Amino acid sequence: MSEAHIVLERASRWYGQVIGLNDVTCSIGPGVTALLGMNGAGKTTMIRLLTGQIRETTGSVRVFGEEPFANPRVFRRLGYCPELDNFYEHQTGRQFVYGMARLSGFSKAEATRRTHEVLNHVGMTDRAGRKIAGYSKGMRQRIKLAQAMLSDPEVILLDEPLNGLDPVGRREFIDVLKALAAVGRTIIVSSHILFEVEQMTRSILLLNRGRLLATGDLSAIRLLIEKYPHRIRIETSEPRAVAQRLIGLPYVLNVQFDPRGQSVEFQTKQPNDFYDEVPKLILDDGLPIDSVTSPDNNLESIFKYLVAS
Amino acid sequence: METYIYSSMLRELTRFRRIFAWVLIALAGIGMAALCRNLMASGSSSDAYVLLSDAFAFRVLPLAAAILSMAVISQEVEQKTIVYLLTRPIPRWQLILFRSAAAMTVTFAISALTLAVLAASTSLLTSGVFFRDLAAAAVGSAAYVSLFVLVSLIINKSMIVCILFAFVWESTAPLIPGDLYRLTITGYLQGISQHPSVGTGDQDFMASISNVLGAHQATEWVSYLSMAILVAACLAASCYWFSTNEYMAREDS
Repeated sequence: MSEAHIVLERASRWYGQVIGLNDVTCSIGPGVTALLGMNGAGKTTMIRLLTGQIRETTGSVRVFGEEPFANPRVFRRLGYCPELDNFYEHQTGRQFVYGMARLSGFSKAEATRRTHEVLNHVGMTDRAGRKIAGYSKGMRQRIKLAQAMLSDPEVILLDEPLNGLDPVGRREFIDVLKALAAVGRTIIVSSHILFEVEQMTRSILLLNRGRLLATGDLSAIRLLIEKYPHRIRIETSEPRAVAQRLIGLPYVLNVQFDPRGQSVEFQTKQPNDFYDEVPKLILDDGLPIDSVTSPDNNLESIFKYLVAS
Repeated sequence: METYIYSSMLRELTRFRRIFAWVLIALAGIGMAALCRNLMASGSSSDAYVLLSDAFAFRVLPLAAAILSMAVISQEVEQKTIVYLLTRPIPRWQLILFRSAAAMTVTFAISALTLAVLAASTSLLTSGVFFRDLAAAAVGSAAYVSLFVLVSLIINKSMIVCILFAFVWESTAPLIPGDLYRLTITGYLQGISQHPSVGTGDQDFMASISNVLGAHQATEWVSYLSMAILVAACLAASCYWFSTNEYMAREDS
């Protein structure tokens, strides 16, 4: 990435005896990049390093070519939406965002204009006059995003921003991020939910126990995963009939029955072909299917595969 | 931006829920003045004022300073809102300086109101001793706040340390023979206020308290100079410390 705004070179961060980030080297440029990892993987540590709240123990962290720790020049071009859900509860949403605008150096008139603009952008204009103490989780998330967008920053870092948002809110939030990315902003979103990330971007940084495990396009990760058999569980009241129908497919490697007789689990190397067969079970064979899930379709499984590979 | 840091902090510190208790404490001076005059067998209004100024107003001052100083940074860390301040394009030293200035202003306003209530209750509102007390309160506000802000940046649970300093050390050090009073702020504030001795001595319990607390005094110019050095040193140290150290929400640090 030639225009990378963010560059980490062998960056590590220790908290006493505990390592938060371990020898991470990467660069991040415009577009949406997801910082993916389970809880405790080092996502928040990395974001705190990038937002200049903490310093790296070894290596280097550069944002716009500068050391970000306590650096106002960096903060002028950077927006940050923290994971912590803490506010000045007695303030209204508008007061909070306006205050942040003033602290960002805008004049009264400019702060008022920008406050109105970002509140409108996150769909909070009509509720901005209410006290934050009475806000739902989703409204709080939107206010946090609003304050991050105040200075029209070139880089926006969002720590678990979709937590607490309803499906409509998520959709809108993701659309806002995509629109920002489309105009050349660098957006870094941390998440521990693969499904969420896939809706936002294909570009990921995969962290596990402080280490950068994989980087690049999400499909590359998927390909890695596809070297291993996928498990797919079908909940049904007739597991034997379902198994009998699917066992003959050439890509089904293994079948396992639930001892309670309420589900059957298949292993396959071609999950997409397998999923194509499932509707036929209902439509053609009239078999009762309650649900289809993949125990592998989560980060924990991905980490297991990647570590094993 | 600097004026907004100051004015927003000032607004935060003077929110009704915060300031109401301090106004009540200041108004309690009316009752205390009446009670004091009744208890002091042979004292004048001036004696009652001086006694209450030492034993009440100049105790409210460090208490207010301790509580308001915590709001400068420590409370933001506790409430986990510090992240919003630290990721704004503001040099950290400016945050410390202007937020501390707001805390000093409010601390002075509280102690000035307390002194004014006492002075009004004892008909000394236009006397020299009241104005000297105001000067001491201004200096004291700056001294206590700058010291307590520094302590709050360095130590967790700093409120306990500040309260112990204000009410244990500041009360006992002047009683210890020698020059330990020089390591208190009270000693210098009394050097500025130049309170006269009160009452007739041993037989008057209330008066004796006041006299003991005021037993040692630095000279006026030494007091101003010492406090100016203390304030400058503490603010400089706070600015440096806050600019070079990491501050995260306590739970996560």
